[in-house]
Amino acid sequence: MAGSIAGICSGLAAVALRLSLESVLEWLHPLRHYWWAFTLPAIGALLSSLYLEKITREGAGHGVPEVIYSVSRYGGLLRFRSSYSRLISSFLTIGSGGSAGPEAPVVMSGSAIGSNLAKFLGLNDRQRITLVGCGTAGAIASIFNAPIAGLVFSIEVLLGEWKFVNIIPIAIAAVAGAQVSQAIIPEQVLFTHQPFDIMFADIPASLGLAVLTALISVFFTKSLRQVGKLARKNSLPLWARAIIGGSCVGLIGISMPLVLGEGYHFIQSMISDTFSMGIFLTFVAIFAKIFATAMTLGWGGSGGIFAPCLVIGSLTGIAFHKTLFFFLPSASCASQGAYALLGMTGLISGVMQAPLTGIFLIVEITGGYEAILPLILVSSISSTMSQYIEPASFYFKDLMERGQFMRPGTDARILSDLSLKELIDINYVKVSENMVFRDFINILKLSEQNFFPVIEDETQFYKGGIQISSIRRYALDPNMYDMVFLNQIMDTEVITVSLEDDLQDVLDIMDLHSMDNIPVVENQRFIGMIAKTKILDLYRRELIMQTDIK
Amino acid sequence: MELSVFDLSKYLGVVPETIERWVRQGKLPVSKKGVNYRFHTSELQKWAGKHNIYLNLSDTKKPDKGRKSIIPLSVAVKNGGINFDVQGNDVNSVLEASIKRILKIPDDFKPDLLDRLVKREQALSTGIGNGIAIPHPREQLRYLHDSIVSISFLANPVDYKALDNQPVSILFFMLCPELKIHLHLLSALSFCLRNHEFITFLNSRPDPDQLIEKIEILQNKNSI
Repeated sequence: MAGSIAGICSGLAAVALRLSLESVLEWLHPLRHYWWAFTLPAIGALLSSLYLEKITREGAGHGVPEVIYSVSRYGGLLRFRSSYSRLISSFLTIGSGGSAGPEAPVVMSGSAIGSNLAKFLGLNDRQRITLVGCGTAGAIASIFNAPIAGLVFSIEVLLGEWKFVNIIPIAIAAVAGAQVSQAIIPEQVLFTHQPFDIMFADIPASLGLAVLTALISVFFTKSLRQVGKLARKNSLPLWARAIIGGSCVGLIGISMPLVLGEGYHFIQSMISDTFSMGIFLTFVAIFAKIFATAMTLGWGGSGGIFAPCLVIGSLTGIAFHKTLFFFLPSASCASQGAYALLGMTGLISGVMQAPLTGIFLIVEITGGYEAILPLILVSSISSTMSQYIEPASFYFKDLMERGQFMRPGTDARILSDLSLKELIDINYVKVSENMVFRDFINILKLSEQNFFPVIEDETQFYKGGIQISSIRRYALDPNMYDMVFLNQIMDTEVITVSLEDDLQDVLDIMDLHSMDNIPVVENQRFIGMIAKTKILDLYRRELIMQTDIK
Repeated sequence: MELSVFDLSKYLGVVPETIERWVRQGKLPVSKKGVNYRFHTSELQKWAGKHNIYLNLSDTKKPDKGRKSIIPLSVAVKNGGINFDVQGNDVNSVLEASIKRILKIPDDFKPDLLDRLVKREQALSTGIGNGIAIPHPREQLRYLHDSIVSISFLANPVDYKALDNQPVSILFFMLCPELKIHLHLLSALSFCLRNHEFITFLNSRPDPDQLIEKIEILQNKNSI
């Protein structure tokens, strides 16, 4: 029920973005012929970055990693303003001609709608995550009019776990999203095409295409990241970056208009075999589009990589097809359009490393199953190859670098779920630094503690600790009992951690110094001890609970 | 560089059986299969990074800081020196007179050191019985380069409020730049002072060289 509401809402959001993009494209069309047209993307990027920075205070970029992080770390908690902020900023970017896709923003907004719906209904974390998935599925299903792709994307990329409790609501949401889109925009499929004749000769050809798309997707991912890094490195203010990035895109757009915007029209023309560019120019177009997308997203614009992937993919497919015919003019292969489709699958699977999403998306947006065999081939080879070269997909790379990539049932996830407060043992007898060793030995006789925190008398501040194993030789020598005070025998170099530290870091410290116990000190006060045995205990219980199949 | 199962097991801190199971289950990148597995370091680094595993393949071990600066008791006594016929008739005056004669302590610090020693005696007497006391401050003396054990033979025994209420005539000053060395020296000294033969020897007010030699013998025999 809630799933279908989330699906409908996010579907509406997606349709709104798509319709407004179409209208603004028509409205701006006459302006394209003026000499200053290249400044349009700059203005759009500028407005978009200023809007995100000043009004909603959210980072630029596409937003999918943020959703994934929120799902794994905060139970899918997203701010309400995320549900519209990305829509507006990406509308400004793409509408003005920036090279980006409208999908990631609607994913962000759909998931934020789902999350806030869950908050409104007072649902728990697990249910909220499901609703975030519903919102995402609804959004993708609606913008592509592809319910299965929405379902698969939401589970494969966003949630990362196939569970019955997730699949059914998400499927409902995806269908609801697609229905909303159909009801408002009465068109059956996003891209229409003539039926393809897939022949046997296409199978080896698609193998070659798969390799090409894998390479192009790795290149695309790398250049996106590199350009983004370059932009962060320079000290220009945000608005200047947006202007530079936008103008670059605009300049490329003058000579090659297909790089501008989300590029759905060009995809349509490529699929329906009405695309006319030479081999060389097609190759140039691939790299122009990659560069334009990197400039748009890296330098302050806002939008997704889905649509650019589709454009680059179909360009790659066509370039491959043309090259094939150039060398083997008599080859009995399917048409250009079919190869454009295969290229799209290859790029989606390669960049996102989500082979199922690639297959189902293309099957659904073109409404044809005749190409399913080469689709599966291209998709699986492309995603495997790009994973071999680049182990993390574009969405996960940033998260992995920050150590925030946490799928359910993984080590990082369990460690991040367990907090030090749950693990700490606070039943420790503290001893004063002014205690004589003999008194301490008397306490020791009656205690099972292996570690004694030593504190200052007046302030109760933690000064150091006494590890029984390290004082054994002194404890067995009665002559020493009256000769030392505890402050002389305590170890002041014991490494301590504080309650806010990540369990991951705490464990790393313990491993590095081969400790079994580590004291927790907060505001100079001794709180308790973290023991490895206790960690194992809770870790195992947590693992069982997270991987439990209901 | 190539590694064997045994090398890798040391680096990872697991037994070779675990390594073999990981290879069998396809969890570890292995470069040569067969009876003797071989691993490439570059592949292992990649694998460790991917799985968030801490892997330190360099052999350099951190030098053990604490052990390095620990010196034997005999050397500390050599540093501190031995003084005979120290004058004074109560705790404070013998402490003051002894400190004056310890050469290794800078003159500027002597009043402060005396203050600390007196405070320590007021908290709890360091007279351990048999006419012997081990005056020392409770804090580490960072201005010292070496640890010092200085022996003072008093001209007249003084009432030191020792555990056995006997007057004290021999003082072992123990002054260390680090608490860890202090504990070590204290433990070594306490060991020597449990030896009755050694105490009789001390009471005969021996020659400094003989005394140090005696300490060395005790030290070596018991490896402390």
